[in-house]
Amino acid sequence: MPPPPSLSRRALFGSALGLGAFGLSGCAGLTERVSSTSRGSRDTLTFQTYGTDVEGKIYDVLARRFEEQHRGVTVDVTVVPFAEASTGIDAGLVSGTAPDIFRVDYPTMGVYASTGQLLDLEDSLDELAGDSSKAFMDAVTDRGRVFGIPQHVDTSALVYRPDVLRDAGITSVPDRPEDAWSWEEFADVAATLRDAAPAGSSAFAVNWQALGAFRWLNFLFQAGGHVYDEDRTRSLLTSDAAARALDFTKSFFDEGLVPQTSSTKAATYPDALFTSGSLAMLYAGNFLLPSFADTIKDRFEYAVTYLPRDRRRASELGGNALVATKGATNPELASEFLTFMAAPAQMKDFCEASVLLPTRDSLLSRELDFAVAADLMPVYADQVTTIEPRDVADVTTATFAEVNLSLANELETCFLSGRNTADTLQALAEQVDESAYLNRQDVS
Amino acid sequence: MTIEKTALAPGQEAPRQDATPTGKAPRSRLRDNRAAYALLGPNLLLIGLFLLVPLVWSLLMSFQAKRSFGPGEWSGLTNLSRLLSDDVFWRALLNTAIFTVATVPLSVGLGLGLAMLMDKALPGRGVFRTIVYLPIAVSSLVVSLVGLLLFDESVGIVNGVLRDLGVGPVSWQSNGALAMLSVVVMTLWTRVGFGMLVYLAALQDVDKEVLEAATMDGAGGFNRVRHVIVPWLRPTTFFLVVINMIWSFQVFDVVYVMTNGGPGYSTTMLVTYAYDEGFGPSRNFGYGATVGLVLLVITLAITAVQLRVNRRQEA
Repeated sequence: MPPPPSLSRRALFGSALGLGAFGLSGCAGLTERVSSTSRGSRDTLTFQTYGTDVEGKIYDVLARRFEEQHRGVTVDVTVVPFAEASTGIDAGLVSGTAPDIFRVDYPTMGVYASTGQLLDLEDSLDELAGDSSKAFMDAVTDRGRVFGIPQHVDTSALVYRPDVLRDAGITSVPDRPEDAWSWEEFADVAATLRDAAPAGSSAFAVNWQALGAFRWLNFLFQAGGHVYDEDRTRSLLTSDAAARALDFTKSFFDEGLVPQTSSTKAATYPDALFTSGSLAMLYAGNFLLPSFADTIKDRFEYAVTYLPRDRRRASELGGNALVATKGATNPELASEFLTFMAAPAQMKDFCEASVLLPTRDSLLSRELDFAVAADLMPVYADQVTTIEPRDVADVTTATFAEVNLSLANELETCFLSGRNTADTLQALAEQVDESAYLNRQDVS
Repeated sequence: MTIEKTALAPGQEAPRQDATPTGKAPRSRLRDNRAAYALLGPNLLLIGLFLLVPLVWSLLMSFQAKRSFGPGEWSGLTNLSRLLSDDVFWRALLNTAIFTVATVPLSVGLGLGLAMLMDKALPGRGVFRTIVYLPIAVSSLVVSLVGLLLFDESVGIVNGVLRDLGVGPVSWQSNGALAMLSVVVMTLWTRVGFGMLVYLAALQDVDKEVLEAATMDGAGGFNRVRHVIVPWLRPTTFFLVVINMIWSFQVFDVVYVMTNGGPGYSTTMLVTYAYDEGFGPSRNFGYGATVGLVLLVITLAITAVQLRVNRRQEA
């Protein structure tokens, strides 16, 4: 009788390795992160975006429209949470698996553009540049080269509850830009609302949490200040204008005008407080209007007025660009897709569905058919016109993302931990100077 | 001529110095070694790939000005000197120390207390054990979100209850000390169950005869715990202290979700600071790696000191 077949140790070890590898590959589907990225191919574009459900859906509609116009081409749209977007893109760029196209906010775009990670769109966007304000094109330009399309902008205005204001005796709210409240008038209104507010409610809150810390710069710009000097190599944050802006915003907390939990590092956003009825007013971006309509319904009335002004009117450059990675497998196709997305028809459809403002002058001057809150959008459209090229230059430097983090940390220390204005501005100025130095290193 | 050689019979070879005490033939030992390495291989490969390589990489990065993309530039001790003069780093170190001092003794002490309670023949003991242990089985992210739901200053459950009781809302998120307290409470909630489980297992080994003898000698409940049970459980306590200290120094998710290191820097810990610097908007990999390595050195040093103290006590 022949002996039973024996398995050598080598064969056993090899089999174990094979089984292990198979097992690990089987786990890939379970453990793969949503934010993992992949490159496209000759006929396939990979596109990573983030945003609301509505934005995800309209991106999908536009991708299918592009496919219809380009037979044989596929656009894979992946929607990831905003908080994970940058981490996934960074890892993808380092490992060569970044998507061909991705959505990025203007303050973060400088990191990628200045370090040569993005596809130079050369002259394919000349038509768009001719129809957009310089400020918006500057937001996607680095050292004279255009690296993306400014797909839309969003900005802040003051959302308020007319019923609460009426009850507090405030009968007049600015309905023309030139009548916007001065800081002093706004502080008086807020104090009146605070005194009339029931327990657990506050006069207002500002939308400067987490990556929105740069919205504090609205106050700085309104006071006539700036982050950097003209050539952006030195901080101007120890100026009188900066001190005035910080004193004013610090008073929101010192005088109990805003919830203490609405500081720059708060773990939650204050729009939930507004929709729950705990706030009389809220500095809010227009991108929140669809969720307001959905959440508030007809529980209470709300309206929008212009941001308070100081030396000048100012509003932040919010919004996002679409960019292509330099290592895109088919750069011509990627560039073509961006041009397609920047075309008036696509920009109009995207902005109307998502309740966002277009960057094309030809669309901004028209009355768009926004999906919701169309009556509130003119105020936002007017706020956008207060954005000046130098404001844009301040928030689109190569290292502004770093400055944004410093703003969140240092402002909160001032607002909640009692550090004085001068020390806070000094700490901020040092950090901005340091990052400006690193910025020059990156560029060189 | 050596004595050994003279003792050998003609033609007899001296025994090889590498012969094993068990008398196994070298060939067999080599075969055993090969099998051992084959079995260890996959683990060693994974440890090397996912632990040692990143560790060495971090060490190299800590001597570089490495940011966002592209190769880093050697910068010597620049990151370290920045670290030493960085107020936020020292604040994060102090916060981590405070957090560790607050969580380790309480985790271990409450774990022991609960274990002794659950060791008795309580009605519904299994249910209580499960309830206490449950948080450790739940994702720490979920626990952190529960913490946020509980301690949110505006809409949180704790403040809601306090408001109903007429005590008024407490500044869990805008007061530094209270924010740290809320993080400590949620951490204890997850850790106490683990301590209880480990102590419960160790309590089964306590010699009942020794306890009976102590009782016969007139020792009361407190003295039995103090002079018999606690010394008996010393190795378990040592294990729990070490593991809890390491966990406390590595705290991240609870802080990140509940307070984001705030208000200001009141709850910024070493790991959250390293993360913010390395993976946050700064993308300052070199400096983030330096903070991470300092954390590693501190953890190793504390563990080494504890090992030394424990050995001395056992000797």
